[in-house]
Amino acid sequence: MAVNLKRSSGGGTETVAVSRRRLLGWITGAGLVGSGVLSAISNFVFIKPRATYGAPQRFSIGKPDAFPPGTRITLEARRICVVREGAKLAAISTTCTHLGCIVGLSDTGFACPCHGSRFDTDGTVTGGPAPRALPWFKITLAPNGEIEVDKDTEVAPGSYLSL
Amino acid sequence: MSQQQPKPSLMSALQEFPGNVWKSIFRNPLPTNDLERSSTSFTNFFLHIHPVKVHKNTLRPGYTLGLGLISMFLFTILVVTGILLMFYYVPSTSQAYDRMLDLRGTVAFGTILRNMHRWSAHLMVAAVFMHLCRVFLTGSYKKPREFNWVVGVVLFLLTLLMSFTGYLLPWDQLAFWAITVGTAIAGYAPVIGKDIQFLLMGGSTVGQEALLRFYVLHVAVLPAVLILAIAIHFWRIRKDGGLSRPADADPTPTMDLVTITEGPKVRMDDKKTYGVQGLVRGPLTKVNNIPDNTVFSWPNLFLSELFVFVMTLSVILVLSLLFNAPLEEPVNVMHPPNPAKAPWYFLGLQEMVSYSAFWGGIGVPGVYVVLLILTPYLDRSPKGVGKWFSRDRLLANTIFITFVVANIIFVIIGTYFRGPNWAFVSPW
Repeated sequence: MAVNLKRSSGGGTETVAVSRRRLLGWITGAGLVGSGVLSAISNFVFIKPRATYGAPQRFSIGKPDAFPPGTRITLEARRICVVREGAKLAAISTTCTHLGCIVGLSDTGFACPCHGSRFDTDGTVTGGPAPRALPWFKITLAPNGEIEVDKDTEVAPGSYLSL
Repeated sequence: MSQQQPKPSLMSALQEFPGNVWKSIFRNPLPTNDLERSSTSFTNFFLHIHPVKVHKNTLRPGYTLGLGLISMFLFTILVVTGILLMFYYVPSTSQAYDRMLDLRGTVAFGTILRNMHRWSAHLMVAAVFMHLCRVFLTGSYKKPREFNWVVGVVLFLLTLLMSFTGYLLPWDQLAFWAITVGTAIAGYAPVIGKDIQFLLMGGSTVGQEALLRFYVLHVAVLPAVLILAIAIHFWRIRKDGGLSRPADADPTPTMDLVTITEGPKVRMDDKKTYGVQGLVRGPLTKVNNIPDNTVFSWPNLFLSELFVFVMTLSVILVLSLLFNAPLEEPVNVMHPPNPAKAPWYFLGLQEMVSYSAFWGGIGVPGVYVVLLILTPYLDRSPKGVGKWFSRDRLLANTIFITFVVANIIFVIIGTYFRGPNWAFVSPW
């Protein structure tokens, strides 16, 4: 804009007056457009919740005794499947990585009723449109002896918690 | 007050009262001549959106099929029934489904209002899409109507969004899982997908926040945008010269054309009224009665519109009396129905999504939308306007029909040929 002003100022006083007006016009325009953009962004900031009221992502699922060795128990409300093999324990997500339906247990692992994705017992995709394996969640043994699942932290498939 | 005027008696004032009120509202009596016909259209708030005279081609039922009007009237029915339903609906996960049952059981006319709202919504999606097809196949998006085509595409997308947001509100199994799948598709959009999904749902899963958000979008945000877009769409029809028509629909002028060079000179003549626009628009204006293929909107256009409205309302009423809007089991967030299907007009999308979530849900539909919006700017040939399946538009029409048929096939596969676990089943 400064360049504009300089270039036209050579033409005489009248051009200078016009270009000052034009500069003010540009500043006003930029200010109005900028305010519009800012208020549009602030609307998105407003509707993006800072706190959500959904189910907690970290929760306790009880003592290890509730999951006898060799069982695969789905906790549908938590959307996880607890797998216990001997003294090893793991929590696999039952939310389909395709479009968020809940996968059910099948003979070969997991199957999704919505679009037909299939997974093996470790959650690896064996068929259907699912793009990723079912994630494994971090589980820890709390001091009171209960198992705590943290759905915000994924761990590599096959990483069990040894009891 | 002059002495000659006799003071009106109370009786005559009372007698004239209804007539005076009537005349103060309606400036014109029912028209008996052309001047009155034009001023009736011109001075009535609701009729003024129409031109005083309308081209005969616009009134040909076989040309427009009345699809734009049908869409508009369906939207009107949706607004009226929707506002009535709002009196009894509560956007809360604990109450929404019970309110559906209340509508069915205890609210007077509740069932038929919900039926009307549901069937009008389905038919509106179909009518708007067929209107889009009509405009394409008659080449009506061409200059000067390019921008109105774009507005039309936006209106089609808004119609789908209205339908999508309304779908969650009954809070039954169908609603919950269709929206779970639909919002997950949005999550596949590049870069901003996850944010859009989070903003739509107001959380990480479909729950109370999502229901409230969809409600606000459905009853306030989207209707406001839709009504604005409809207003622009209608206004542009007038400004772009009325509905499209073939070039040979207007007779070549044989009578005098006078070029006005130094400002318009208006010759007042009680036989003919002049529109101001006709004088200020361009250098050419007609001074004598050049033969044209127009007729007065009153009564020709208005009667056609009334007919389309009555037909639309009748169809909706009959459908609503015969068929009840579906309502499935209340939401069970632990058990998706098997198969979980979206509404029929999204089943083509869902079928494509079953191959690839990104390409089926975002990539291909995105390309469709971009192509639709760019259509009038890509196809710049002025030929073939105003005729169904014009020979000049063989290539464009073939491409368009191919896309439409492909999508209809996807919808049919998704609707009839997909069973549990989305496995291929035979409907027979």
